[in-house]
Amino acid sequence: MNEIKSLEHATLKVPYEIFNKRYRNAQRVLDVEARQVATSVSDLDTTTKKGATVGEIDSLLGGMVEKLTTMKRKASEAITEEVQAAFVCKKRLEHLKEQADALSDTSAPQAKTQINQWRKVRLDRMLVDYFLRNGYYESANKLADARDLRDLTNVDIYAAASEVESELSLRNFNSTMEFKIRIQEFIELVREDRRLEAVRYAKKHFSTYEDGQLEDIQHCMGMLAFPKDTEVEPYQSLLGSWRWDALVAQFRWEHARLLHPARLPALPVTLQLGLAALNTPQCYKDSTKVPTCPSCSPPLNALARTLPHAHVSHSRLVCRLSRLPLNEHNQPMVLPNGQVYGEKALKEMMKEHGSIICPKTKEVFCMKRVEKVYVM
Amino acid sequence: MDSCLGVEQDLDKATSKFTALNDNTNKILDDVIKQVEELRKEICKQPPNTVLSQSQTKLVNDLASSVKQTVFQLSTDHRELHATVSRVGKSIDRHFIADYAAVAPKAESFCSDTNRPIMEQAIAQHLYRQGLEDVGDTLVSEARVVNAERGSTFAQLQRCAAALTAADPAPALAWVAAREHDLQHSPLPFVLHRMQALKLAREEGVSAAILYARAQFPAHAARHERQLQAAVCALAWCTPAAPPPPQQYAHLLDPKALGAEAAEVFIREACSLLRVAPHSPLAGAVLAGARVLPALHDIRAKMSHPHVLAAWADDELPLEVELGEEGGFGGYHSVFACPILRQQASDHNPPMRLLCGHVISRDALNKLAMGIKLKCPYCPMEQSPSEARQIYFS
Repeated sequence: MNEIKSLEHATLKVPYEIFNKRYRNAQRVLDVEARQVATSVSDLDTTTKKGATVGEIDSLLGGMVEKLTTMKRKASEAITEEVQAAFVCKKRLEHLKEQADALSDTSAPQAKTQINQWRKVRLDRMLVDYFLRNGYYESANKLADARDLRDLTNVDIYAAASEVESELSLRNFNSTMEFKIRIQEFIELVREDRRLEAVRYAKKHFSTYEDGQLEDIQHCMGMLAFPKDTEVEPYQSLLGSWRWDALVAQFRWEHARLLHPARLPALPVTLQLGLAALNTPQCYKDSTKVPTCPSCSPPLNALARTLPHAHVSHSRLVCRLSRLPLNEHNQPMVLPNGQVYGEKALKEMMKEHGSIICPKTKEVFCMKRVEKVYVM
Repeated sequence: MDSCLGVEQDLDKATSKFTALNDNTNKILDDVIKQVEELRKEICKQPPNTVLSQSQTKLVNDLASSVKQTVFQLSTDHRELHATVSRVGKSIDRHFIADYAAVAPKAESFCSDTNRPIMEQAIAQHLYRQGLEDVGDTLVSEARVVNAERGSTFAQLQRCAAALTAADPAPALAWVAAREHDLQHSPLPFVLHRMQALKLAREEGVSAAILYARAQFPAHAARHERQLQAAVCALAWCTPAAPPPPQQYAHLLDPKALGAEAAEVFIREACSLLRVAPHSPLAGAVLAGARVLPALHDIRAKMSHPHVLAAWADDELPLEVELGEEGGFGGYHSVFACPILRQQASDHNPPMRLLCGHVISRDALNKLAMGIKLKCPYCPMEQSPSEARQIYFS
């Protein structure tokens, strides 16, 4: 099991779904065009049976050539699109392989830099994915452009979705807006069973309608005759509490669900697991916080608080002064007040000050009273 | 790697088949069009009002039926590729894990209305730290993030690092020059000067590089002797029309690789000088999370769901994951795990130092004590439990 296998399914699956869609589309194009050609063939057949003249056949054959040329053009377009979609898959696969290559040859001088670079790109990809799935399209676009990630992320695939969404929310501002709100208010009155008020409301507001709105008004008035929990269409759906926002959110969710097999973007998942792995009880006491620790620092500290602590069965000690690991090369030493620091840092302190000042309690000790600690 | 190769095989098969199909379709349709055109020309040699002869009618009918057959054959050919396409999808499903979130049931809570703003605040701060102020600002307005700090220290460092990646050491050199004294023991100045020398060699010729090296390298000769030698040797391949360099110099002569390496050293050294973490908290946590995920998938493959979920109900992760040394994961905190009980010490069960210096947890101490006698589990020393003292690792 490795990081690529665990995390990168969607990276390949999403462009694959596009590839699959284009394939089905190309199949439809080919079928339709083939049928067109077939029609011209049967036209030719019926004409020849009746005994046709050269002129007639000439024009029919011309028609056939035209159909065939169209078929050629359309088929070639559709198939080229398919191949392009496949190449997007291929490109991402190549990117994933870069990491695998760097991992397999860790002796090369650049391997470490390469892996770190790759991980940086991965974080950026996760961020773009998170932005897209939450509807922050502009942020996603800007980040993808800033880091040159268009091919490796789904910004272009989501472009269509963002158009639909902006259309949905734009409706709020165009001219039918008022009419729609009136209808909604009328519907709310009916839902509360204040029907007479609803009729008065309709008299006042629906009398000046525009072309194409008459049918909606008729539906509304028809609704008066039904109970509010009716199952008769279109009244039932009119009575549903539609909200454009809800519509936008639902659309976004459905779109993501179609594209992604996993319900959550990778970012919150890895973030949560990472915080859990770094989480210690010390992250929540001001006296023991470490400024560089992700789960100590705000704002993530608030998220880590709800998570389990890392499971540790072997001690993992670092010197609070030098941030160096405590081991046989840097023995843990205990001061008489019970505080443990690394041998190296204490010796350094001796050299500078001539005595040991406990950074935590400010007590002063001499080196003789410092004892070794053995941690198995 | 295996998973990539597995998918690649199926994908390559699909692309080659589609490319072949595209060429084939074009060719066949071209042929058919040509045939029809030829027949049309043949027939049109007669005046337009003559009725077609029997043989000509047959020719037309034969051609028509063959055209029909050909176009339907094309459509069938394409349909037969369905298996190839869906094999790619199945291969992706087989080689990669679709629902990575199944092992992180609590991740859902990060997307809740209370936690999402916190996470997005962390994202915005990460973007600012990366020097992507523009993207950060866009996110702040789109996601309505509040309280995102716009620290400038990191943005400056990131700009220097970005310039390094783009093979321009000048801003980083300026940053280093201002802190020369603090960086005495750091490899950073040498790395930057080496990069500048090699850049000069590329742009202004080897002699300019040698002049620069004479001025800058001596100060670093003692600490970086081998690397210095390598850098000067590498100059030999900087002349125009030089043969391709041997392997050990290749990375010195590749401006992109050298720049990326220098950028990394720069961030690492500058952050340790300023005593800040080289990763943003978000990046650090995600890096760790990406390492945990495969381990959890492993455990899930071995155990059935309920066990994993039960393990999660506890207040610890169900397993220990080695996070590696990179990125400051030598550990941010000291964690003492009792060697007897194999569990993390806590406020209720703190580490105790026995008289002989060995450390165990208080619970273990109480279990091992026989009245007023205690034998250290690691050495022959006998002592009284009351002689043990509580110690503090953090």
